[in-house]
Amino acid sequence: MNFPLFKSTLRANWIIGIIFLAIMFMYLSIILTMFDPDSMESLNQMLETLPAELISAMGFDALITDLASFLAGYYYGFLAIMFPMIYCIITANRLVAKHVDSGSMAYLLSTPHSRLTIVTTQALYLVAGTADLLILIGLAAFALSAGMYPGQLAVGPFLQLNLMVILLMLAISGICFFFSCIFNDTKYSLALGAGIPVLFFLIDMLAKVGGNTSWLKNLTLFTLYNPAKIVAGDFSLTSAVIFLAVTIATYLGGIMFFNRRSLPL
Amino acid sequence: MIDVKDLTMTYKSGKGVFDLTFSIPEGEVFGYLGPNGAGKTTTIRQLMGFTNADKGTCTIKGLDCRTQSQEVNKHLGYLPGEIAFFDEMTGKQFLSFLQEMRGIRSNARTQKLIERFDLEVTPRIKRMSKGMKQKLAVIAAFMHDPAVYILDEPSSGLDPLMQHIFVDLIHEEKKRGKTVLMSSHNFEEIERTCDRAGIIREGRLVAVEDINSLKAAQRRVFLITVAGPEDIDHIRAGGLELGKVTNNQVEVVVGSDYDAFIKTLGKCRVQGLDVLPQSLEQVFLKYYGQGVH
Repeated sequence: MNFPLFKSTLRANWIIGIIFLAIMFMYLSIILTMFDPDSMESLNQMLETLPAELISAMGFDALITDLASFLAGYYYGFLAIMFPMIYCIITANRLVAKHVDSGSMAYLLSTPHSRLTIVTTQALYLVAGTADLLILIGLAAFALSAGMYPGQLAVGPFLQLNLMVILLMLAISGICFFFSCIFNDTKYSLALGAGIPVLFFLIDMLAKVGGNTSWLKNLTLFTLYNPAKIVAGDFSLTSAVIFLAVTIATYLGGIMFFNRRSLPL
Repeated sequence: MIDVKDLTMTYKSGKGVFDLTFSIPEGEVFGYLGPNGAGKTTTIRQLMGFTNADKGTCTIKGLDCRTQSQEVNKHLGYLPGEIAFFDEMTGKQFLSFLQEMRGIRSNARTQKLIERFDLEVTPRIKRMSKGMKQKLAVIAAFMHDPAVYILDEPSSGLDPLMQHIFVDLIHEEKKRGKTVLMSSHNFEEIERTCDRAGIIREGRLVAVEDINSLKAAQRRVFLITVAGPEDIDHIRAGGLELGKVTNNQVEVVVGSDYDAFIKTLGKCRVQGLDVLPQSLEQVFLKYYGQGVH
């Protein structure tokens, strides 16, 4: 970890984080205003008029009765993973692959710091950025809920939900980071670093539709994350451990690969 | 100070550098001459520890360039051949970022260099011209007063005045005992600054000689304009090596036989004399001629 580099990386990338935070916050507040404990029944009825497959693909299937399941269904099942995923794809690519592709990595590596230090600093930025984005959104959800619907949010399940979504997105960020480290061209690092998470995401949507496509659930990491089950009290330790393992493996793999390889600088 | 031993690194295209061996003692300014694509930058990448060698080693101050680059970089100033900065920064931000990364407190030297090269550091790097970027790269390489400089085509993009300032800077650093490796495809640039030079051709070092013997090996082409065809006949009779001949102009290639050249011209009615610009291969036909390995 190199502090001046971290600072400069922050200066070059914070705006992206702020934009995603703003978008996610906007959706969060819109969705929260739609929560009405008394008229949940009517909302559910309205959803029943839409095609069942569409509802399932968006992850909105559970029966909504309280605020935590409402957030789990309408926010954490779709928006809270799609936006951070895009954030990870963009930021991971900027942290390593872009510097290698443009050649500015040459300046970083000509300073008296090891490659390991340089690339680890970039990795830490992505970990911190991804986690902070979701932590801030979680805190905002807490604050807004407390203000708008005092006492209605089940804190324990909601915390577990936040923990799991953070672990999931760290695993996704690790995949993006890994591909950012191993390619010379941003073309390829983006193709795979974005392609794989997006493919996971699409497969997950297809698998949720059920029927013929449900076997697809074995091909994506997102299957291991089920917000409705978590708020219903079924926190899967296995999922958490797998996410953590993927995170560690992809970050360490990316860092080690970067440390050893020849760079086209 | 800089030691390269049996260094081989092959790209997929078959190009690369092969069995390079040379060393540069402390306090020497070493020119690394070769046409584009000969392997100059490939060698420098190895010295900077960016790429892994197939075979061989390079060390600076006895430290391995690939595995101990962290230590090496404390004593090293680097000017890349293809410069890519952090585009979103201004020149000033970039220099202070490097200063922080290198852990330098005082920016007196940086300030002096900025004044010396007359660089405006407030614009964003993205908006800078090629010449300004080159100046910024020179300052970035010299600002931390390192013991060793590795400069990849340092004066490309600098105007003649700035090139002059740059040459003076190299002379000063040499007086202060610094070691310099400087690549170029232009012999004049090397001639003005270096003590010795290595000549690289298709990835192999074909000669390492001191600058005076290289000067002696240098061939120049003069374009002589004379009054009439009979003068051309005079020149033909002079036993000189001739290039293209037209009605009243003749190209004469001169290696070391300036005396014969001048004496022959003395017999003619010379109306004009120009030195033709030449590529490195033409200047050093001795090293670049066919079949030389």
